[in-house]
Amino acid sequence: MDSPAGLVRFTDDGRILRLNATLAAWLGRPAAELESGTFDVLLTPGSRVFYQTHFFPLLKLQGRAEEIYLSLRDAAGQDVPVLVNAVRSEGSGEAVNECAVVRTRQRDRFEEQLLIAKKAAESASESKSRFLSMMSHELRTPLQSMAIFGELLASGGHGPLTDRQREDVGGIQAATRNLVTLIDDILNFARLESGKVDVRLETVSVGTALTRAETLLRPRIEEAGLTFSFDARAHGADVRADPDRLQQILLNLLTNAIKFTPREGQVRVEVDADAGAGAKSPAVQIHVRDTGAGVPPDQLERIFDPFVQLDRRQVPASRRGVGLGLSISRELARAMGGDLTVESEVGKGSVFTIELPAAAAE
Amino acid sequence: MNPDVLARNNVHVSGRGTRPMLFAHGFGCDQNMWRYITPAFEDDYKIVLFDYVGAGKSDVRAYNADRYGTLDGYAQDVLDVCVALDLQDAIYVGHSVSCMTGILAAIREPERFDRLILIGASPRYVNEPDYVGGFERKDLEGLFDVMDKNYLGWANFLAPVVMKNAERPELARELEESFCSTDPNIARRFAEVTFFADNRADLPNLRTPSLLLQCADDAIAPEVVGDYLESHVPGSTLRKLRATGHCPHMSHPDETIAAMKDYLAEQALRYPVAAPDLSAIGPE
Repeated sequence: MDSPAGLVRFTDDGRILRLNATLAAWLGRPAAELESGTFDVLLTPGSRVFYQTHFFPLLKLQGRAEEIYLSLRDAAGQDVPVLVNAVRSEGSGEAVNECAVVRTRQRDRFEEQLLIAKKAAESASESKSRFLSMMSHELRTPLQSMAIFGELLASGGHGPLTDRQREDVGGIQAATRNLVTLIDDILNFARLESGKVDVRLETVSVGTALTRAETLLRPRIEEAGLTFSFDARAHGADVRADPDRLQQILLNLLTNAIKFTPREGQVRVEVDADAGAGAKSPAVQIHVRDTGAGVPPDQLERIFDPFVQLDRRQVPASRRGVGLGLSISRELARAMGGDLTVESEVGKGSVFTIELPAAAAE
Repeated sequence: MNPDVLARNNVHVSGRGTRPMLFAHGFGCDQNMWRYITPAFEDDYKIVLFDYVGAGKSDVRAYNADRYGTLDGYAQDVLDVCVALDLQDAIYVGHSVSCMTGILAAIREPERFDRLILIGASPRYVNEPDYVGGFERKDLEGLFDVMDKNYLGWANFLAPVVMKNAERPELARELEESFCSTDPNIARRFAEVTFFADNRADLPNLRTPSLLLQCADDAIAPEVVGDYLESHVPGSTLRKLRATGHCPHMSHPDETIAAMKDYLAEQALRYPVAAPDLSAIGPE
């Protein structure tokens, strides 16, 4: 056996023209015997089908094919896994397909393991998403009842409450709202992970989105003793986005900013409508800037990982999330063709930047 | 015309004739596989090419595991294309699995089809006690294993390959795009749907005349299957080709074209106006 690789040459109808000693030795048959047959006879039945349905059409149409996995069958009935590179030449006579064949016994075992691991991971990921989504739905139903009955009690529907009772019912209602938010986050995340989120892109005014967010968050900003402002340029900036998803991202970033900025701090939104100038596609950047505690450099990327929260001590238990908000926001920004990034300095504050494609000028 | 279907199935219409000739590709490939056959019919027919959802440049977002969980879903793609282009009395040319999708489509809407030309057909790939399909179940498990291992390195397998064809660089580009966009997960499920299907019971219901083109030494649809089809498909004509393998339209296009033309000419002579009425032939 002189060649380190098997070599075989055959016509379009598979007739073997030449086969080297190496390949014949791997198959445990004399080369002369194999040369009277066809290429697909060297293969296992499964590989024969693959040859006819994938390999040959590819070779014929493209003129070559590389790293094709096939399984040969030797004289003893054992499978011989191989990788094949093939080139086709159409000279003046009959077209000839020439293959170099490499045995991959070790590699095949690793690939086998990889495939098993890949299938297990896919199945686990699918079950996880299914579980999260089912669990969220199941939890939401009793929570809705809790919210309704809490509201009924608080409004005096069953008679007046004492101050102590009102306080307790208020506690129940706050905890219920918090749980609903957590479950919404989990459900959103499960949908994003399984690729089931639809984004309907349209032209959205950043100014309108920010005004709406400010209206919703005004009570919390005041309660936290912060000042909030946004760039007047927002009103002239239009993006291609799903208005509900953009709102969701803005509310998430602003809520975080409010949570992590000490009293008398500032939350400001700046808009850069020419962020993509010079790049292939124009983009708009929305910077949400706070004067909060900031994020240490080594943690900056981690905060976008699901279920990661940095310093939980800063936030009262009633307002803690599960650490999905940023992860969801980044996925949503990406689903709309944009991105969400962060810059931060410990002790000075953070800037979260949403970048979205600019809407084409009317 | 339904532009959604035309885009979804990447439908291409060409040719100078009025009578439609609809080509349906086999498993593992796309409409490119017909490039050696269609030029021979362009003068006389309106050529219609398409990709099944999940193959070639079709819109993979239209894939739905329920619809495409049986060959009926793929037959519906054929009928959707017929409806979108308002095809009537078409010559349907199907390869491999598309022989069965063509038969299913013609049973459902016979007026759409005048003749079926079926290359490498098999109604059942798995052997049964009273039937030889050519494969044991474990053989097909072996195919899925080979597919999985090739799809592990799918990017490599289908990575743009520079075809040495300096005169026609657009050919290389077209192929790259086409082959690269086939979805491996869909192909994997299509394999199971194809190779575990059993359409033997549908055969007697076909009312459209058909030509069965049978290759010698076809590892996927052996001659015994061709014989079975001839005796179970009403109005069928079996023609055995000298070509070997499973893709005579690619490996032996001249012989394939000649067989198709012979059949169409002979049918035109025998039935100059309309198709024969096979309604008298009942199920066996």
